Amino acid sequence: MELKIKTTLINKKTNNSISFKTPIITASGTYGYNNEFEDFIDLDFLGAISTKGITLEKRLGNEGERIFELKGGMINRIGLENVGIEAFIKDKLPLLKEKNIDFLLNIAGSSIDDYIKLASCADENNIKALEVNVSCPNVSHGCLEFGLNPDILHELTLKIRKNYGGFLIVKLSPNTSDIKPLALACEEGGADCISAINTLRGLGINVQYENNKFYKKSVEGGVSGSLIKPSALYMIKQIKQVVSIPVIGMGGILTLDDLFEFIYAGADAFEIGTANFMKPSLASDLAKELNEFIIKNEFKNFDDLKERIRND
Amino acid sequence: MEKYKKGNFKGKINSSGQIALDTYKLEIISDLQGAKPGQFISVLCPEKTFRRPFSISNFDSKKHLLTILFKLKGDGTNYLKNLKKGDDIEFSAPLGNGFELLNKNSLLVGAGIGIAPMLFLKKELDSNNIKNYLMGGFKSKEEVIEGSDETVIGGSVLDNIEKIIDEKQIEIIYSCGPLIVLKLLSQIAKKKNIPSYLAMERVMACSLGVCRGCVIKLLKNNEEQNASVCKDGPVFLGSEIIWN
Repeated sequence: MELKIKTTLINKKTNNSISFKTPIITASGTYGYNNEFEDFIDLDFLGAISTKGITLEKRLGNEGERIFELKGGMINRIGLENVGIEAFIKDKLPLLKEKNIDFLLNIAGSSIDDYIKLASCADENNIKALEVNVSCPNVSHGCLEFGLNPDILHELTLKIRKNYGGFLIVKLSPNTSDIKPLALACEEGGADCISAINTLRGLGINVQYENNKFYKKSVEGGVSGSLIKPSALYMIKQIKQVVSIPVIGMGGILTLDDLFEFIYAGADAFEIGTANFMKPSLASDLAKELNEFIIKNEFKNFDDLKERIRND
Repeated sequence: MEKYKKGNFKGKINSSGQIALDTYKLEIISDLQGAKPGQFISVLCPEKTFRRPFSISNFDSKKHLLTILFKLKGDGTNYLKNLKKGDDIEFSAPLGNGFELLNKNSLLVGAGIGIAPMLFLKKELDSNNIKNYLMGGFKSKEEVIEGSDETVIGGSVLDNIEKIIDEKQIEIIYSCGPLIVLKLLSQIAKKKNIPSYLAMERVMACSLGVCRGCVIKLLKNNEEQNASVCKDGPVFLGSEIIWN
């Protein structure tokens, strides 16, 4: 099949750019580190993967129940379980290279210094794209704290920028009353791209009545899945009103129609997260569907389709 | 043991039916080439965020026929219950590590619907001429799933287990069932100084080992570590599991 969905994201101020085979990327935490999904997806149609969030040191994540299913989504409180940057470089990176899988290295820290070290390490290892998680709601300190204060976010982005020459993406949190100053802080700090949204804070509760007694279960964490799509679309539109750098949209994408809606809101590429759990092949299935739509309806390419959706 | 190609499969229901109280059996024809006892499939259930995991209860390699057993629990199992012969079903398989077959006098314990993978294991042990004894434990007569060498109804399947281990000179235990049964079995195995291989159950999101949603804690080489039930398991050495 002819591929018409090659995607290039460009920061027009600096001409920093990155290209992917397709605009569909699998979201951090839903796809592992490298080839875990190889048997379940058509890698030729996968734009890139965003790796599991990597911290300086290995993390075991949170104790207790970590996931909670919802109608149209889920709640997670994994707590950034990951192998740490050293093991990633040593054990995971070689396979990404060998299999020729494009990826964004997703990083998270609990201090500005953590982020600088991680960014420098990515730079030294010629990692082409970095997705900075400043929006994980599931760790006790750090991460989200950087993502909700425009001044701190600006400082953080500047410092990462100084230490990293590749394509710099900052992943924003929706857990704010106004996302615009945060998006601006990223752009002014030197980010090449914004990805949004991370999970929304939420609480899942299950109450069962059995043998004259109520049994309760609750999980507090980040909500994802199609039920957060309206919030994601809203936030992306807000971000696009204030920045000119590209935006990778995510939050409940499941169908071709969802892709169109995200494009209209302002997304230039997409990440798919929770829906991978429902259907491990979804990212490549959707890329194929998008490609077929472009060919069938005689659009020149993905950029042409985006223009038409926004301007028709 | 040979490894079977993993992937997404689109199968068709070959037969479906009730086999005990709230308990059903589905036979699925697909391109799946094979599976090990203890491995599972995860089934796409419409409208549900998570695919539902089911232990493989039998695999007929000549007919490419895979069997699962399930007990009605919620929306996922209600969807499966309503599938009829000829209906489509989409699933990923074969997932998880499965049981290693060892040439040892084996005791198999299936508690409730946990009997499902034990029936497959028994078949494989039999065909490898490995001596084994399967005990099935059920809450009531109506819930009994056939196929065990000994069926315990009411009470606990573990009540006479130590006597059986001694009498039958059991060298290894395999089990699947509620957490409490597995925990007690691991303690009995420790006391008898024999290994126990236990198939664990957790709610799973990705079922491929990446999301870390279904992890349990293991103690290996004196170090506490996480293991995903879906990929590192579902079968674990009882002596390594940290029970809460």
